[in-house]
Amino acid sequence: MSGWRWLVRRLQVLFAKDSVEREMDEELRFHLDMEIRHLVESGLEPAEARRRALVSFGGIERHKEQVRDVRGARIADDLVQDARVALRSFVRQPGFVLTALATLGIGIGGSVAMFSVLDASLFRSLPYPQSSELVLGRVTRSGQVGWVVSGRDYLDYRVETQSFSGLAAITPFGLSRTVQGSGDAHRVRSMFVSPEVFSTLGVPPLLGRDFTASDGSAGAPLVAMLEHGYWERWHEADPGVVGKKVSVNGTPVTVVGVLPPGFRIVQDADVFIVFREDDQWATARQFHNFLLVGRLARGTALDDAQAEFDVISRRLEEAYPETNADKGVLLTPLRDALVEDYRGVLGMLFAAVGLVLLIACGNVAGLLLARGSTRRAEMSIRSALGAGQGRLARQLLTENALLALGAGIVGVALAMWLQRGIVGFVAMDRLGRVEPGLSSATLAFASLLCLGTVALFGALPAWRVARNSRAATLSSGLRSTAGRSSAAFRRVLVIGQVALTVVLLAGSGLLLRSFAALRSVDPGFDSERLMTAEVMIPRDTYPDAESTVRFFAEFSERLSEIPGVTDVALVSLLPIRDPGNNVRVAKPEAFASSGAIDAYQRVVWPGYFEAMGIRLVAGRDVARTDDQANAPVIVLSEQTARSVFGEEDPIGRLVGVDVGREEPEIREVVGVVGDLVTSSLESGVSGAMYYPFHQRPARAMRLAVRTAGETSAPAAAVRSALRDVDPGVPLSAVATMEEVISASVADRRSVTAVIGLFSFVAILLAVVGVYGVLAYQVARRQHEIGVRMALGASVGEVAGGVLRSGLRLAGIGLGLGIPTALAATSLIRSRLYGVGTVDLPTYAAVAVFVLAVSVVACLIPARRAARVDPVAAFRSE
Amino acid sequence: MSSRADLLQGSLDLLILKTLALEPLHGWAVSKRIQLLSRDVLEVNQGSLYPALYRLRDRGMIDSDWGQSESGRRVKVYALTAKGRAALKREQEGWRLFSDAVEAILATG
Repeated sequence: MSGWRWLVRRLQVLFAKDSVEREMDEELRFHLDMEIRHLVESGLEPAEARRRALVSFGGIERHKEQVRDVRGARIADDLVQDARVALRSFVRQPGFVLTALATLGIGIGGSVAMFSVLDASLFRSLPYPQSSELVLGRVTRSGQVGWVVSGRDYLDYRVETQSFSGLAAITPFGLSRTVQGSGDAHRVRSMFVSPEVFSTLGVPPLLGRDFTASDGSAGAPLVAMLEHGYWERWHEADPGVVGKKVSVNGTPVTVVGVLPPGFRIVQDADVFIVFREDDQWATARQFHNFLLVGRLARGTALDDAQAEFDVISRRLEEAYPETNADKGVLLTPLRDALVEDYRGVLGMLFAAVGLVLLIACGNVAGLLLARGSTRRAEMSIRSALGAGQGRLARQLLTENALLALGAGIVGVALAMWLQRGIVGFVAMDRLGRVEPGLSSATLAFASLLCLGTVALFGALPAWRVARNSRAATLSSGLRSTAGRSSAAFRRVLVIGQVALTVVLLAGSGLLLRSFAALRSVDPGFDSERLMTAEVMIPRDTYPDAESTVRFFAEFSERLSEIPGVTDVALVSLLPIRDPGNNVRVAKPEAFASSGAIDAYQRVVWPGYFEAMGIRLVAGRDVARTDDQANAPVIVLSEQTARSVFGEEDPIGRLVGVDVGREEPEIREVVGVVGDLVTSSLESGVSGAMYYPFHQRPARAMRLAVRTAGETSAPAAAVRSALRDVDPGVPLSAVATMEEVISASVADRRSVTAVIGLFSFVAILLAVVGVYGVLAYQVARRQHEIGVRMALGASVGEVAGGVLRSGLRLAGIGLGLGIPTALAATSLIRSRLYGVGTVDLPTYAAVAVFVLAVSVVACLIPARRAARVDPVAAFRSE
Repeated sequence: MSSRADLLQGSLDLLILKTLALEPLHGWAVSKRIQLLSRDVLEVNQGSLYPALYRLRDRGMIDSDWGQSESGRRVKVYALTAKGRAALKREQEGWRLFSDAVEAILATG
């Protein structure tokens, strides 16, 4: 019979039961009638024939039952019956059911929540039409992959490529700008883009027009597109804003359109402004400022596009060997590139949550086995009454499936709640907000998980109990030797749980140590009681160097007059807060050859180093007299000085600095200061160089103000000082340095916290497992303990025995767990800082912790054993 | 009953297949045919017969259809399928091998 017909027949049996039943009835009755006729023909009276036939036939119902049994019609009936029996037995044991539901619920809930985040971030496609055609281009230099591509290179690729239907450039984050001419002056996050960005992404504007190629041509008037949320907040959703002129940092920009709601690329932004081919900052070949996003032309394979880009890269290298030597662009599907960094973290969290689920399954399997041994009498009776082995196992599996279903419901409810937490914990700003809610994929995963857990925690106990029922334990009393193997199996489970917990604890311990090591890194400056903020003055009010210097001179004066303020620092970019860019620096004669090194550049107001607590190693600070009338000077950090001059004394020597022109700018070194952590604590200190403000005035500056004693930052006082100087200049991005540093490690902290939480749940479950085994063991051995006490064993010996067996379980678990942890934690090696995977203190702490916790788990059973009354134990026989 | 042998497990399927190989029959006729052919030695109990018939049908060895009995009543008639015919051949060979072996052992006594 074909599989199809087989299926149809099965379904008939299940669903069209009545008609099948009728057919069966008809057939059996016919058989009976034939039998009677046969007997009559052989000479019996009809009445006697009927009696004889009925006797030999037995009840029709019985035969029907037998037929049904072979045919599987019973399965549906049994299922309902099993479920009913299961629910009845659950009601009788609410404690067991609640424990199992809570344990499994936590495991399933955590896994489903993690999966929903994975689903929303890693698996789902990006929110652009035909997003699989989108590609991200990243710069490669000597094989190293960076993020941003040079604007001039981009323009060349755009002209030459045939592989893309659109190729756009976007600044990788929103640059802070002041907008005037539309309500109050306010700060916005603005991204600078090439005109084809929205057509490439496939997102037409909601209002107004899209950018056109001419918007990006040299000398074109500046045009901007507004983000939908910003348009609603600041322009009260007024469609009239399209066509209006606003001032961005003092430059007029025309708003040409508004984007549809929900649009986002890589980071949040309020305004998108087109850069033009002659914008020096954007299109100098040596400055790398843009993400490259392209849409592959229909039918073009990524490999072909990459091959074409390689050819263009080689051509650029030949034409511009100074800037483009060994430089290229790596094309990656946009989604893959964006999730690359998060994949590791999410994978690690998912693995941790999976371990918790496994431990939870272990606990419930243990519970079921314990319950199974107390139910052996029930199973024996049912077996004796004719229930088949398969039938008993099915009954137990039904119970377990119901448990898993319940746990699944608990878990999904928990997952909806946990999900928000995880999304908040793991900042995935490149992907945007992960919308809460469970997708159908997540629900499918939850169902699969339930099935999987039934298989994991339920199948083996069910099989064991059903098999044991065969050993006719009715006569052997309530305690039986058949329980011994299941007790052994529980011990194996607990050992496994302890081992898995050790893995989680070790991982979490290593992450914690990394975090502590990171926080104790010396940033090279004093970060205490430091309030930081951002000030940017508009070009139209402060058109020249003189007015700019005057503004900051007055502002810093006002700041130092604030009561309680001890130090005032002004700098173009603050360490950790805003890393900024590298530029090349070298001895003037070595600049043209390959002798130049990279260093971060900053513009500093005199007094910056002292105010920040940065060590002055040699020479002097910059001064107000280092202005445009005097010789250009520079201060180097130790590392930069050493890289450029080696062991020679740098003071009084000249260096050449890349300023985006053909010839380097020559400056005299007047001072050397200590190195700072510039970008992240992980990357450590890096080389830097500092220009005097009076020689390189900047309109965008950061300020750092230190207060005496008091920790509260005088934000209001700073604001009023600023208002006194110029009410038209906003103060933005106010944060204490501690907050800045703390935020820079927020990702790591949250991942450490989540893994820590998982480890906590794991050890809790493992303790319950250890406790369960011992408590059960003590309960079963009451009689034996009674005998031993009657024979003179002391309370201490009895309790000690329980303690020993508990510690033995934990010890074996540790013994298995530590090598597993050593292997498993090597997977997170890249996430560790200042600590190796083989870290003795971590493992020692884990071992002590696990043993200590196991002792606690042993205490109650040990006490119970010590309190066994020998007389009562004998009587209970 | 001593003159009647109990059916060995599995051999009932073989007997049903063999009976149906000759012609399509309804259930009662199958049991009578087996009784007749075995010269009253084997008697098939209804309790075994119908489960066996349904099982064979579910496995695709035999097929059933509604037909008319001799007395004109609607009755389910079973017939051998191609798959059943192949199975019969196989089982027959197996049975011969088995019974020869048993015979050989008994003959040594």
